[in-house]
Amino acid sequence: MGAEGPDEDAVREALADATGSDPGPVRIARIPGGASRETFVAEAPAHRWVLRRDPPGAQSFVPLEAEIGVVRAALGAGVPVPAPLCFEPRGGRFGSAGYLMDHVEGTSVAARILHRDRYAVARGRLVAELASALARVHSIDVEEVAGVARSGDDPALAACELWEGELDRIGEPLPAVEVGLRWLRLNRPPPVERPALVHGDFRLGNLIVDDDGLAAVIDWELCHVGDPGEDVGWLCIRSWRFGNDDRPVAGLGAPAELLDAYAAAGGRRLEPERLRWWEALGNVKWAVICARQAHDHLTGRRRGHELASLGRRICEPEWDLLELMR
Amino acid sequence: MTQDRPDAPELLDAVAEFLAAEVSELVPREERFQVLVGANLCAILGRELRAGDAPLRDDLALMGELLGADPPATSPGGVELRDAVREAEAELARRLRAGELDGDLEAVAFRLRDHVRRKLEIARPGYAD
Repeated sequence: MGAEGPDEDAVREALADATGSDPGPVRIARIPGGASRETFVAEAPAHRWVLRRDPPGAQSFVPLEAEIGVVRAALGAGVPVPAPLCFEPRGGRFGSAGYLMDHVEGTSVAARILHRDRYAVARGRLVAELASALARVHSIDVEEVAGVARSGDDPALAACELWEGELDRIGEPLPAVEVGLRWLRLNRPPPVERPALVHGDFRLGNLIVDDDGLAAVIDWELCHVGDPGEDVGWLCIRSWRFGNDDRPVAGLGAPAELLDAYAAAGGRRLEPERLRWWEALGNVKWAVICARQAHDHLTGRRRGHELASLGRRICEPEWDLLELMR
Repeated sequence: MTQDRPDAPELLDAVAEFLAAEVSELVPREERFQVLVGANLCAILGRELRAGDAPLRDDLALMGELLGADPPATSPGGVELRDAVREAEAELARRLRAGELDGDLEAVAFRLRDHVRRKLEIARPGYAD
């Protein structure tokens, strides 16, 4: 691994301390993707781990220590997650703050999960497994997890304010997003009595799926305390269906199936209006994220034709947002 | 000055075909998607050039109607037209945010479908069908 990656000998040492035996020489390779955190595979002769760390010099929405606490709480609640192994603070053996965890085999590429034959069995199980995983995430005692942002007394209002603010920072006029945001502001669902721990980016791209179904929920960097409807609505936006428009839940199945399985797994009964509100908000969120990525390209913060192309995808969630307002 | 053919959209078609049919087969698997993104951007540009000023003019008329503005005395073109649309979009966005159109929100949303549909016809044909 080059100068920008974690030191292989230091990671080997950390692994020896955490597992009680020297794993042998460790090779480290970057896993591409990841908006705000860096992820690497650490490969020893007989075993593989994943190393996740802050980009040197950068800070994330959820501090890394808090993320580990959330992953441990999720593990305790029965959510399939890669078990965290050890944490190093900033300036420690991983360079920036980071942690090692088990490596889970499988794919996070939604188009493969939805269209390849080998995942046919998994596809048949995923709606129920996703519902059950979400119900367990949402059952976590929020007093138990430290350092996680709280949306306040009215998570729906907080979400409107969050995306309005982000739109203002970008400075791109998007009247179709604004009309949706205004409508969302005026038609908010009543706050849930018990705010829940929300994953914040629950979709196939942040899950590991193997031939048998859901293997792990990953990428907890956007988790916060809020309305459980947020995770369910986000999972249902059209952009995550990858062409399977007849199956609104991540291109896999029907919302009723998801909501029934969610309730059967101990989740609260989510009203269809609440789900629809968060699905519309999810489209606002995706439109603004697309605008943000294109803006990063235009300002030179990060250049790339894929980032640039997202500017021309803003109109997709805009359309879906207007459809949901009908 | 007139350029010889192929014209601009035809050249973009050629680049898009080259990227999608040939380059994508040559690059490592994990780079393939990036090449297809490039091909898709060329296709978007081709459609945008073919459409000309018409979508911008339609948008300017729509925004003017939603803002209750008088139609412009002269019809601008090119960069001027683009700036005029952007300015109208910004004003509409501002009024929506300020709650000044709360009484007509559903109607405004319905009218904005045409605006978004025009963007989709260039960026993602078929999405609104």
